[in-house]
Amino acid sequence: MKKLLLAVALGSLCVVSFAQGKDLKVAIDPTYEPFTFKTADGKPTGFDVDIASALCEQIKRKCVFVEQVWDSMIPGLQAKKYDVIISSMSITADRLKVIDFTNKYYNTPSRVVVKKDVKFDGPASLKGKKIGVLKGSTQEKYAMGELKTAGVDVVAYEAQDQVYLDIKSGRLDGTVADFVEVTGGFLSKPEGKDYNLVGPELYIEKYFGVGAGIGLRKGDTALKNELNTAIKTIRGNGSYKKINDKYFKFDVYGK
Amino acid sequence: MSSYYSSILQGAVLTVGVSLAALVVAVLLGLAGAGAKLSGRPVLVALATLYTTIIRGIPELVLMLLVFYGGTIGLNSLLEAMGSEATVDINPFLAGVLTIGFIYGAYMTETFRGAILAIPKGQAEAAWAFGMGRMQTFMRITAPQMVRYALPGFTNNWLVLIKATALVSLIGLQEMTYLAKQASAATRSPFAYFLFTAALFLIYTTVSLWVLRRLNARYSLGTKRVQL
Repeated sequence: MKKLLLAVALGSLCVVSFAQGKDLKVAIDPTYEPFTFKTADGKPTGFDVDIASALCEQIKRKCVFVEQVWDSMIPGLQAKKYDVIISSMSITADRLKVIDFTNKYYNTPSRVVVKKDVKFDGPASLKGKKIGVLKGSTQEKYAMGELKTAGVDVVAYEAQDQVYLDIKSGRLDGTVADFVEVTGGFLSKPEGKDYNLVGPELYIEKYFGVGAGIGLRKGDTALKNELNTAIKTIRGNGSYKKINDKYFKFDVYGK
Repeated sequence: MSSYYSSILQGAVLTVGVSLAALVVAVLLGLAGAGAKLSGRPVLVALATLYTTIIRGIPELVLMLLVFYGGTIGLNSLLEAMGSEATVDINPFLAGVLTIGFIYGAYMTETFRGAILAIPKGQAEAAWAFGMGRMQTFMRITAPQMVRYALPGFTNNWLVLIKATALVSLIGLQEMTYLAKQASAATRSPFAYFLFTAALFLIYTTVSLWVLRRLNARYSLGTKRVQL
């Protein structure tokens, strides 16, 4: 009797679903404007979401979006709550140890941002200046590798917002950040009006990796190949460009 | 702009639902745990001690990830090993309620145990002398008196439990903190939404405190006043 009760209790807790059928469950963390965010009426939107829909159309499956907090993104994939992660997840060596990735579907460059009166011609011209970066980010790796060695004072912060706050309060001379992030979160705002982008677009693979890919479980090779083909197709047939132009003034696919 | 606020309000409803349901679970577990600890039976005492020691010693975040994702991954690989194509999906609302209830049950156990111990032993003995059974003694003698002793600790546990619901977004529930984060990311203006959420939490806890204070007054009739 007790075992029966336990079975019933466990049964009511779970929903057992069979062979996912045609739906492709896509995980997103809608807290990353303009890539994944929610409109005021609660609909997921953004570059990632549109790309996901375009890819679903290519592989003839229906996209079902599952909202998931960033911290439990990979555990949720492993627990089969969804089939893929399309949420601006960068392909990194550490992540490749536990999950698999498709080829990149975008790769935005990083940029150096400093006050307009600072003359910039290479890292050496920033000698003695204080540059803030996000702790643990690819930009921090770059700043440590290229700027610090040139005599720049590199300071790491817990959040990119804190970097902007410290620039505003005059404790920093600038930052190295993702191009989209720094234009949307700083340069387009009043506090960023005295600052500008300097130097080239930074794509150096040893610091910045290869870009963002679609995360999937190891062993899902058939789906991975399908999605890789679909990415190629939408790059070729113009649907990628259409989505790209809706959000950005440059090609986020990168080089 | 304003509909972000309405979505946060919907999240608030979920927060209230999860916390109240979890409270019921926690109180039941707490009573069972306190009963076990005071039963004097070695096996029950050992089990209850194990429960309170382990649960109170591990961060909620870790427990939640462990129970929810660890559990699902385990069940799924079990199904796979049996050659099944099926995948298990644990209902996140129930999982959240049970996990939070299970965690706060451990704190309630200690609160209730202390409250029961605060009642002079002679009272229960007198009840037994009148021929009351264990259950009757608890319902008529112990329970009405322990409420007064348990309420201060209970209030603390309840307030912490309410705030712990902010963690259930980890297992896929759209509670108000996560919705506020989404709204602030979409509009790039965090303060308004987080302040709004903080205010909602404050309203919820203030109402709770008011109710509990009334309850305390009711159960403290005829005794010296205790401040919550």
